[in-house]
Amino acid sequence: MGFDLDFALASVPAILGAIGMTLLVAVTSCFGAAALGFCLEIVRRRGGFVGLGVRFLIDFIRATPVLVWLYCLYFILPFYGVRLSALTVGIAGLSLYYSGYLAEVFKAGIDAIAKGQQEAARALGISRLDTVVFVIAPQMLRNIAAPMGNYFVSILKATPYLAVLAVPEMLGAAFDIASDTYRYAEPLTVAGIIFLALALAISQGVKWLEKRLAVSTVR
Amino acid sequence: MSSSTAMTAMNLRFQKDSLCMQDPRQNLAVEIDALHKWYGAFHVLKGIDLRVAHGSRIVICGPSGSGKSTLIRCLNGLEAYRQGTIMLDGTRLGEDAVQTALARRQTGMVFQNFNLFPHLSVLANCTLALRRVAGMARTEAEALAHHYLEKVRIPEQAHKYPAQLSGGQQQRVAIARALCMSPRLMLFDEPTSALDPEMIREVLDVMTELAHDGMTMICVTHEMGFAREVADEVVFMDQGSIVEQAVPATFFSAPSHPRARNFLSTLLH
Ligand SMILES: Nc1ncnc2c1ncn2[C@@H]1O[C@H](COP(=O)(O)OP(=O)(O)OP(=O)(O)O)[C@@H](O)[C@H]1O
Ligand SMILES: [Mg+2]
Repeated sequence: MGFDLDFALASVPAILGAIGMTLLVAVTSCFGAAALGFCLEIVRRRGGFVGLGVRFLIDFIRATPVLVWLYCLYFILPFYGVRLSALTVGIAGLSLYYSGYLAEVFKAGIDAIAKGQQEAARALGISRLDTVVFVIAPQMLRNIAAPMGNYFVSILKATPYLAVLAVPEMLGAAFDIASDTYRYAEPLTVAGIIFLALALAISQGVKWLEKRLAVSTVR
Repeated sequence: MSSSTAMTAMNLRFQKDSLCMQDPRQNLAVEIDALHKWYGAFHVLKGIDLRVAHGSRIVICGPSGSGKSTLIRCLNGLEAYRQGTIMLDGTRLGEDAVQTALARRQTGMVFQNFNLFPHLSVLANCTLALRRVAGMARTEAEALAHHYLEKVRIPEQAHKYPAQLSGGQQQRVAIARALCMSPRLMLFDEPTSALDPEMIREVLDVMTELAHDGMTMICVTHEMGFAREVADEVVFMDQGSIVEQAVPATFFSAPSHPRARNFLSTLLH
């Protein structure tokens, strides 16, 4: 039983049909993880008791397998009356898990910003929140576009974990074909190639972003 | 002889104070009383007293590590202080958060390293606080920013980014950015010491013009030509204290304190 190209091509439409779900999960999880990770890092920086708690939380999140988060959210929350759809749990789980990593990336990006920037903003009377939004965040993004892009690719590659919750994403669709036909090589190869194409698209997008951000700082 | 000139300086100061006292409603721009500050166990400011009337120009000088930056940073709340009081135009700094914020908004600060926002154009550097703090509309804010960029003589650079400007131009943008908020008091912390010699003049010219417009200024600088020309008083600090305070003529010709004399002679060489 060799690799059947015709069968591989025939399985493409069904697998591509699930690309929407994969993209939905990946994109929302990227935004979710970035937003949550940024908030965690901002709170951690403020220090004090809460900051210390958040520091512990970030380490805890990163030290736990992503599958544990997905299972916990899906099977344990209902005991406490919180019933979420499989898709919501999947997005929440990935967002939470990667927020811990992105918080570390953001930390490096903010550490690299000169201390004088915050002082200048304070001296102008700009509020803490506005300083974060208009002074810190844009400069941080410029510093970390590349590592952040790497984590976005990781999030994309983590979407198949949602198979354990029966979310119909791309790898799940490929597996459905495989178990129906007992042919694994073709559909899994097709899925792999599509993942590769998506990952390349993300890194190209990050390169473009990096270039655009760099334009504003000719050094 | 030197002690008699110091007496004259003290008399002058006394007269100035009493002039202000004639009208009790007239607040001083800055009134610092017995200000102490510690960094951990290190006593940086050891009982600073300083009065600055509206419209007057004070130059602060002194050896490295004497606490000049710390003092000036206390004046706009960038550093907290432990003991003593700072009154800005009659408002006590650090007592009431809202009042403090308002008082601080009337204080502009220019840093040694400019601290422009590198990701924003010159114009956006100037308008950010106008829009976010003063709540001004974009067109109005940009018109005001252009006005001050003209005042510091770089209106044509408005759309460039800070990194595309020379140091002198960047510092003038920083001055324009501070002026946009219509401060009543301008603080300068060694505004020219990060600049190449050929750019120092253009920044000092802008500052001199500002002084002639009647701006209240407190300026840490070692540009003694500027101090001579512009300052109403020179304050000499050493090891966290004000050691000498005099009108420039007195300070430069006959400093009474040996450490001030010593400091001046090192500046000349
Ligand atoms: N954040 C800080 N923590 C601990 N010590 C500090 C801190 N900032 C300044 N100091 C110390 O306080 C003293 C006064 O510093 P300050 O910057 O006010 O001096 P300065 O007169 O401005 O000197 P310079 O001419 O070098 O700028 C110095 O001995 C300095 O080492
Ligand atoms: Mg200093």
